Amino acid sequence: MARENDDTLPLRVRGLRAGYGTRVILDGVDLEVPRGEIRVILGGSGSGKSTLLRNVIGLERPWAGTVELFGAPLDWSEGRPPDDSYEKIGVLFQGGALISSLTVEENVTLPLRIRNPGLSRGLLRELARAKLRQVRMEEAGTKMPGELSGGMRKRAGLARALVTDPELLFCDEPSAGLDPVTSRSLDDLLLELRETLGITMVVITHELDSIKALADRVTYLSQGKVLFEGTLDEAARGPQEVRDFLDRKPPEPDGNAEAPMAFRLEE
Amino acid sequence: MPPASLKIPATLSPDTVARLEVEARGLLRKEGEIRVDASDLESLDGLGQAFLAALNTDAERQGKKLVLQGVRPEVREALGRIPAPSKEGDAAASRPSLFEAAGGGAYSLMREWRDIALLLSESLYYSTVGFRKHKTLMPGDTVTQMIRLGSSALPIVLLLSGLIGFTLALQSGLQLSKYGAAIFLADGIGISMITEIGPLMTAVILAGRSGSAITAELATMTVQEEVAALQSMSVNPLQFLVLPRFWALSITQPLLTIASALAGVFAGAVVALLFFDISPSAFFNEVQQAVQMQYLWQMAIKSLTFSWLIVLIAAVKGLGVRGGADAVGRATTACVVTCIFAIVLADALFSFIFYL
Repeated sequence: MARENDDTLPLRVRGLRAGYGTRVILDGVDLEVPRGEIRVILGGSGSGKSTLLRNVIGLERPWAGTVELFGAPLDWSEGRPPDDSYEKIGVLFQGGALISSLTVEENVTLPLRIRNPGLSRGLLRELARAKLRQVRMEEAGTKMPGELSGGMRKRAGLARALVTDPELLFCDEPSAGLDPVTSRSLDDLLLELRETLGITMVVITHELDSIKALADRVTYLSQGKVLFEGTLDEAARGPQEVRDFLDRKPPEPDGNAEAPMAFRLEE
Repeated sequence: MPPASLKIPATLSPDTVARLEVEARGLLRKEGEIRVDASDLESLDGLGQAFLAALNTDAERQGKKLVLQGVRPEVREALGRIPAPSKEGDAAASRPSLFEAAGGGAYSLMREWRDIALLLSESLYYSTVGFRKHKTLMPGDTVTQMIRLGSSALPIVLLLSGLIGFTLALQSGLQLSKYGAAIFLADGIGISMITEIGPLMTAVILAGRSGSAITAELATMTVQEEVAALQSMSVNPLQFLVLPRFWALSITQPLLTIASALAGVFAGAVVALLFFDISPSAFFNEVQQAVQMQYLWQMAIKSLTFSWLIVLIAAVKGLGVRGGADAVGRATTACVVTCIFAIVLADALFSFIFYL
């Protein structure tokens, strides 16, 4: 496989509009992620981070706008994007999303088996071991997903996302529901992967520690739009909402300060 | 007449609040103005605040006046935190009108059946023309599903069909023997078990057993993003999840239907022998003469159609689930109800078509 010209962006989103029913969630989002960058998508709950991910990886059809992966727009004309759209991407879902009826090893090699049904069992096993070693889980290959802890499930999910050697990795809330130590080690793992393999990453998270550890640049979503994009240093001088988010300051409640007494009182 | 008054004790416990609420409602109904004597009240916790807020809202709605008397300063502060009664009516106002609800319901029903039809066409495509495109992921998967969804239902199918055959034979035999025509119970049992009861009983049992299992499994996978993960690995969930189950039930359900019909006919033979002195050879001879080839075709068509209804409805309900763990339970219930409804409806249609 020939390496692409370096000027094709791994991910380019233009004018993305999406929502559910009549509710607009994303209202014109533009996003460009250059090669080798770790981009963190930020935003409070309900700001559209997950919807953005689902649209970008082709799980949902946008209302308007285009999503380009490595220069090729996602094609929805067949009702869902064609299989080869996903060739260069890997996705780590929030809970790992391991298929519960398969062992960890089978889960890890699943994407490969689908693309190349001819691969031998022995080769697949070796590959699964190698990938599991990469995420430091080689001892758990024969276990079922139900026997794993939350952190292990995520790491196994990461091994599965990496098995096809993707050039672009999406991570949905990698540190959600993990204790600080486990969460930290997952962040370190992601950084290490970028160092060794040069994978471009789009990470959705709202854990401040992860953001600080991972982000080259951040994209802050608010009310369905990109409110801010830039490095963390720039964010510290950015819009009020972004600064408040990074300083963990809750938003000011509006007009709740001096409510008039609701009751009629008499001495 | 002085305005009615309500005395609040020093502390508000759940018991006192419940009693006071009843009292206050009664007063509100009768009087235009209520005075609440709060001079004993020492502190106001969340429950007390909620009580006063609800009382205030009620009074406001009914256009009546509520006055608090003798409030102590420490309580006054807590009172200040209670928001003013909302002018809007509650959720009732935002509820859709009857027409909206009916239209919305009809629309989602239409979409669901469109999904089922699409899934059928795709399943048939990948089972025939597109068979080579089907990437055999788990060669044993269809067999596993055949055992899980089909074969393991054999005992219950045999038992229930046998019992129904027994009852049916006894009831019809009793009527027929009045006319000395007990032997014709063999005709009745043979034809009805093969064309009607066999396919229907099997389908209802499998809807409850296999349909619910499929929905629960697929819904759980959807909720845990496993289906999304499959899609992101360019696995078509239809091929990976639905097809093995589609094939499994398409094969096992007709076989189970045959077993069901046989169990019913055998039960009929036992009844004929024990209660009406009809020898098994005479019974089966009569069955053989009564059952024509077209009845067997009817059985085959019905059982296959029912099996498709079960798999496809179950798959659409399972994959279409939105929300959390509670949605899985709801989808499963909806699947069984819809399956049984669709099966009985299809059965009625078939009876009409075959009658023509």
